[in-house]
Amino acid sequence: MRALDIAASGMAAQDLNVQVISNNIANMNTTGYKRQRAEFQDLLYEHVSRVGTQTSTQGNILPVGIDIGGGVKTVGTPRLITQGSLSQTGNTLDVAVIGDGFFKILMPDGSFSYTRDGSFKMDAQGRVVTPEGNVVQPGITIPQNSTGIAINSQGQVSVTVPGTTTPTILGQLTLTRFLNEAGLQPVGDNLFKETPASGPPQDGVATVDGYGSIQQGSLEQANVDAVTEISNLIAAQRAYEMNSKVITAADEMLKTTANVQ
Amino acid sequence: MDNALLVGLSRQVTLSRELEVVANNLANINTTGYKADSSIFEQFLMPEASADGFPPDSRELAYVRDRATWHKFAPGPTQRTGGTLDVAIDGDAFLVVQTAAGQRYTRNGALQISPTGTLVTTAGDPVLGVGGPIQFQNSDHDISIGEDGTITVREGASATSDSTRGQLQLAHFDNAGALQKEGSSLFSAPAGVAPQPPQNVRVVQGAIEQSNVSAVAEMARMIEITRAYESIAGLLQQENTERISALDKLAAVPA
Repeated sequence: MRALDIAASGMAAQDLNVQVISNNIANMNTTGYKRQRAEFQDLLYEHVSRVGTQTSTQGNILPVGIDIGGGVKTVGTPRLITQGSLSQTGNTLDVAVIGDGFFKILMPDGSFSYTRDGSFKMDAQGRVVTPEGNVVQPGITIPQNSTGIAINSQGQVSVTVPGTTTPTILGQLTLTRFLNEAGLQPVGDNLFKETPASGPPQDGVATVDGYGSIQQGSLEQANVDAVTEISNLIAAQRAYEMNSKVITAADEMLKTTANVQ
Repeated sequence: MDNALLVGLSRQVTLSRELEVVANNLANINTTGYKADSSIFEQFLMPEASADGFPPDSRELAYVRDRATWHKFAPGPTQRTGGTLDVAIDGDAFLVVQTAAGQRYTRNGALQISPTGTLVTTAGDPVLGVGGPIQFQNSDHDISIGEDGTITVREGASATSDSTRGQLQLAHFDNAGALQKEGSSLFSAPAGVAPQPPQNVRVVQGAIEQSNVSAVAEMARMIEITRAYESIAGLLQQENTERISALDKLAAVPA
């Protein structure tokens, strides 16, 4: 009975839906996390009787056909790149982007990764790095004994070195934008990689040409909305249950047939 | 007596097909832009078989067969997602998609941008604008989609003025029932069914249309199907018992 396979595809889809929702909920407090959504489409149809088939020599045609669907498939788990709310931390090296743009990070293998997580640290050499120790681009080294690290809305990093009164500008953080940010590949550690689907990276400067602005002392929270996720979870769970009921129904019908003597 | 078995069988076949339709609806309860199906049955009069022992109006044997599946085009609930490229259509119209097999129509407005900057469906097929596929440039940002489907962007250094990238093509069908489901949330129009310009249609950015499957209705229908199937099985069983007892009685030769 085909209903069994159809319902099984529905259960598999809802299982994946719950996985995506649970990953969103698990990352509710992950800095710079962007929520995902499972996107489904219906499977192929069997056209038992095609619409538009001639039913008589007078040219009468079937106004509606018989289409029997084969279930559901998952087409993707697109990421929703919307602004997360900012939380004040007061840390001088915590930065958040308001608007478009990712921070550019140099990976140990020489490639670049991109992130919205601006919880940067300073390493032993005074370089601005991610919590994993990868250098934020362009490499900015903070001199020893300097005080008053300031990052302005354009991403300019300045410090006051001992013996001077005017701040010294050390460099400017790069922001990178993609045409299709949803096409970036997540690689964990809050990092994304460029893919053919994302389009090439376009480096720019904060607040210029539509790039976002940088806020020091804040972190961007995940854009996960608990209420939405929980209501999606309930819907997914009920849908799973209903598909399992279809399996029970198909099973009962088969049993009925098997019991006819 | 054989006829009774066949009449019952014809009903069971249609019921198991109807269950497949219900199963497909429930499997697609969370599919964006999905439209529910329902089965239509008709009486099928058998010209050859008739029973002369009955009153005239019951002489002909009536079987049942499924005549059509009917797509319910009622709008599904709109869910706000906040996604820039998510669109829901408020009104009686479809988005037009260019596939390898020709133009197809969909209500699934979860759109994406391809690596080459074309506006596509989640499956990667270009979504057509009024003048063909909609193409973005690498320097485009702040995409906004107006109520009439006009897509505007801020281009490169320009942070204040909008550039238009096209207008989503919307297709309306006077007889949407003639559309055929293709899978992948797509509908195809058979020969002779042409799209019309839509009236009173609004494109909503940042929202998608959910499946219009009514869980309660489908569950109720499923219970109905199982019970009907069981009662037919009971009928067949009874028919069989009758036949056995007839054989016993007729074959009993008095000693």
